[in-house]
Formats: sequence, C-alpha cells, structure tokens
Amino acid sequence: MSTAHEAHGAEHDLGHHGSPFVQHHYDDAQHQFDSGKLGIWLFLAQEVLFFSALFVQYVLYRVHHGEIYSYAHKWLQVKFGAINTAVLIFSSLTAAWAVRCAQRNEKRGLIACIALTLACAWTFLGIKYVEYSHKVHEHILFGSYFDPCVSPGGAELLTKNNECPGAKSTIEYDYGSEKAKTGCFEQSKLDMNPTEPGVQADCEVSEITREKKAGAKDVEWVEKGRRAITARCPEPHIAEADAPEEKETFPCWRTAYQPAVCPDLTDAEARSHGTGTRPQVGILVEYGDSAERGEEIAIEAKCKAPPAPAAQSIDVLASETGEKNLKLGQGAIHPVHVETAEEEHALESIGPPPEHTGMFFTIYFAMTGLHGIHVLFGVFVFTWLLIRAAKGQFTKDYFGPVDYAALYWHIVDLIWIFLFPLLYLIH
Amino acid sequence: MSADSHAHGHDDDEHGLAHTATVKVLLATGITLLFLTLVTVLATKIDFGANINLAIAMVIAVTKATLVVLFFMHLRYDRLFHSVVFVSALLAASLFVGFTLMDTSQYQQTNIWNPSVPPVAPIGPRPING
Repeated sequence: MSTAHEAHGAEHDLGHHGSPFVQHHYDDAQHQFDSGKLGIWLFLAQEVLFFSALFVQYVLYRVHHGEIYSYAHKWLQVKFGAINTAVLIFSSLTAAWAVRCAQRNEKRGLIACIALTLACAWTFLGIKYVEYSHKVHEHILFGSYFDPCVSPGGAELLTKNNECPGAKSTIEYDYGSEKAKTGCFEQSKLDMNPTEPGVQADCEVSEITREKKAGAKDVEWVEKGRRAITARCPEPHIAEADAPEEKETFPCWRTAYQPAVCPDLTDAEARSHGTGTRPQVGILVEYGDSAERGEEIAIEAKCKAPPAPAAQSIDVLASETGEKNLKLGQGAIHPVHVETAEEEHALESIGPPPEHTGMFFTIYFAMTGLHGIHVLFGVFVFTWLLIRAAKGQFTKDYFGPVDYAALYWHIVDLIWIFLFPLLYLIH
Repeated sequence: MSADSHAHGHDDDEHGLAHTATVKVLLATGITLLFLTLVTVLATKIDFGANINLAIAMVIAVTKATLVVLFFMHLRYDRLFHSVVFVSALLAASLFVGFTLMDTSQYQQTNIWNPSVPPVAPIGPRPING
C-alpha cells in the first residue's frame, strides 16, 4: 500500500492508514477496500437473483401469451425507452469516471462526475414520470385497474369505470358479477357504416342530467333533465397525408367495444381463425374536451335493429363497394382496402385489446417499478456521495464508497439494458 | 493488469487499491453502448420475423451487458473470485428461467387472440396525447 500523501493538496490529517476513514479493525486501507468490494459483489449477485424472479414471470407469460405482448407493447413509446436507455448508459459512464477521478485524487472531476450521474438519474425518473402519468390518465394500469380509455392506435374504448376524460358511455358495470349490467348491444343488431345512406343504426342517444336522492339507502338517481345527442362521430380511418381534417361536432356518439367490458361472443378457437359471432358494443359519447364527466351525467341509448339491407353478408357488401381483400370484421364496418404492412400495423393497433392484456401491464409495472425504486435509491446514495466528495473525503486511499455505489449503479443500468428491448421493442 | 493501463501514460496508479480505468477504455465502452442502443432500436424497424428480431435484440442486450460488466464494473481487471460470485448468480438465474420453461409443451395452445386477424373496434382513432 502507498503511504505517500504529500501531493495533491489533501487538507486532512490522513493518519497512519492514509485516510481518517480507514477503520481500526482492518489491517490497512487495502484490507478495508477489499472487504467492502466483496460485500458489494455479493449484494449485486443477490440483486440479479432478486430481479430474476420477475424475468421468470415475464418469460413464462410471454411463451404462453405472446399475442398479448405483441399487442400491448404498442402502448409504450419506444422514444421514451430509448432516451432513458441512453441517459442510463451516459450516467454509467460518468459513474465509472467518478471512480477514476477518486482514484486519482481529482476532487473537482469527482464532484462533476457525481453531479452528472445525479442529473441523469433525475432525468430518467422525470421521463418515467411522464410515461407513468400518461398511463394513469388513460387507465392503462396493472391487474384489475387495467381499464384503458384508448387502444394503442388511439381509438376510444369502452371502460368499466366509465370515468375517462371527455367521454361517457352507456355502460354500467357490475363488479360483483364482473359483467356489464346495462349498455351492451349485440353488434349484429347495429349497423356500423354511417356512410351507407339509409342503413344507419337507428339509435336515440340522450344525455341525462341527474342527482342523487337524499336519504335513500341504495344509491338512487333522480332525473333532472335530458338532451338528445344527434351528431355522429366521424368514421374510423387510418389518417392519410393528403386527406383533409375531418371536423367533429361535439358532443357526438359512436359505437365502441372492448372485450373486457362488453363480452366478445366469439370463442377463442373461432377468433384465432377470424370467424365467429360479432362482439358486443356499447354507445360512447365524446365531448371533445378533457373535462371530467361527473357521475351526475348518464348516457341512455335506445337502438333498433337496422332495416333489411344491413342484414346482407359482408361478402355482398364487399362486392358492391368493389373492394377486394376485405378482412372479416372490417368490411361491413368500414371498407378500407388494406395493402401495406404499415397500414395493417396501424389498423391492428386501432382494434380493442385481447382479453387479459392487463397482465402485460402488471409485469410492466412490476419490472419498471422495481427498477425505478432502485434508481431512486441510487439518487439518495449519489447525493450522499456528492456531499462527502464536496468535503474532500475521498482520496486515492479511500474511495470505496464511490466504487461500490458505481458498481450498484452499473447493475441498475444493466437491468434496464434488458428491460428496454423486452418491454419496448417487441416486434 | 492489462496493456490498456500502460497505454494511457505515466500516472495510472498500478499500486493503488484497485485498477484505474483509462479514459480511452471508458469512452470506447460508453460510445459502443450508445451505438448498440441505436442499432437495437433500428433493428426493430426491419422485419426478420418475430423470433429472429427477438434473437437480435437479445444478442445486442447481452453484448451491452458484457461490456458494462467487463469495463465499467472492472470485472476484467478485478479478482477472479468476484467473477465467480457474479457468474454463479447469472447461472442460478438462467436455471430458474430454464426449469420454469421445461414443461412449456405440456400445455394446450391457449392463444386467445390472433395478431394476424385482430378484432377491429367499430370506432375512430384519436391521437394519444403525450
């Protein structure tokens, strides 16, 4: 061990061990450093095992339900994941550089590197906050809280809680029986193509303003007033570059669907072959602003079955409109001629999620959440290091804490290196 | 100690408490990691088939992880015992995954949704904010 400390303007009395922070129960600084290093490596090994439980969960569910991953990952924005990956890699570099600075008695460099690492950690957490808050806002959450307001393509979906901003539906969901009590219609009884004259679904949609009756044991609503909502929201379509922006009149109503709310009557076997009965739908009213629609508003819709022409089969409709390559389930709804893979990809993400898609987000939040907690802990550790570095406590004979914290920070980076492709980059 | 530390010059402390990483190694590792991140993002834009795309992403991730462990975490220059500790943890983790997947083929095909024939919501798109 080196005992020469005259250089580099160290202001402290470094004692016979070279640093006042070398504890008396160690032989020397090397002994203390090596003990700490073994300790941190054992801790990192434990961290790998800790996270491996979540990776097992991820792999097992992906093997059995890959289709959920290939749909649900579209809700995640690669942009945010990629920026966060770069931020963490850069912070790993500055953390490793901090160790180098400490080893070379470069106090100012050490402070700069620790500060940069901290700044990156906060940036990472800030981006995570943006991502999480968007998911909270759209109810794209874990377990039974998974009740998305929109599909990855941005289409409005029916929700159980019916509390999405700017929309209100006919659905009244009963959590006891896990079924919609009212508000679901069989899709075959509605005609979904408002561009076909004369065959539009005959629904009378009204918005009811109501108030709670005082003193009643069960919740009882008293109607205060109602107004008819006649405007129909525009057709679903894939945005074309040249197409003029369609003007929407608010409030307007549309039909919407989500298997978790209104049951998909198609059985799994039939669905994987693209055949079977139609899913059920509900009526959704869009208000066009983000103001929360309170409980005091309810939507009522009375729909009649469409007249005879709508009963035509999809094939007949398809040949009439001269469209080829119609996909079952798309044709009668909106005859879009799907050609390019990109268009197909976009269409796919407009559709409602598969059942149990919430599992993806249970796994997503468990993995990124646990990782995020590690980043947060790293923030505390590096803040502590920054204070100690500013006091000039780290020298080439005592830099263990910097080295150990950097090793911890690298393992946090390492786990994110796997989480990023596994969650964001699913093909 | 490696030749890298000699390459940098006079003041890399060969007699300090631990190996000091050179600027060259740190920067090279950092830049390679950022480059590989770009590659892995771009690779998803090309369709090689789901399995090959996954394999590419995983190979890149493992490469990146190896670089981090060897150079940022100094394991290449560190005591052999630390490598033994870390690699044992990785082996245990891969055993967990491997054993859990052993009976995969014993289950029925339970796909509940066909990505090639997805259901289409009878509704229009709205841009996602944020």
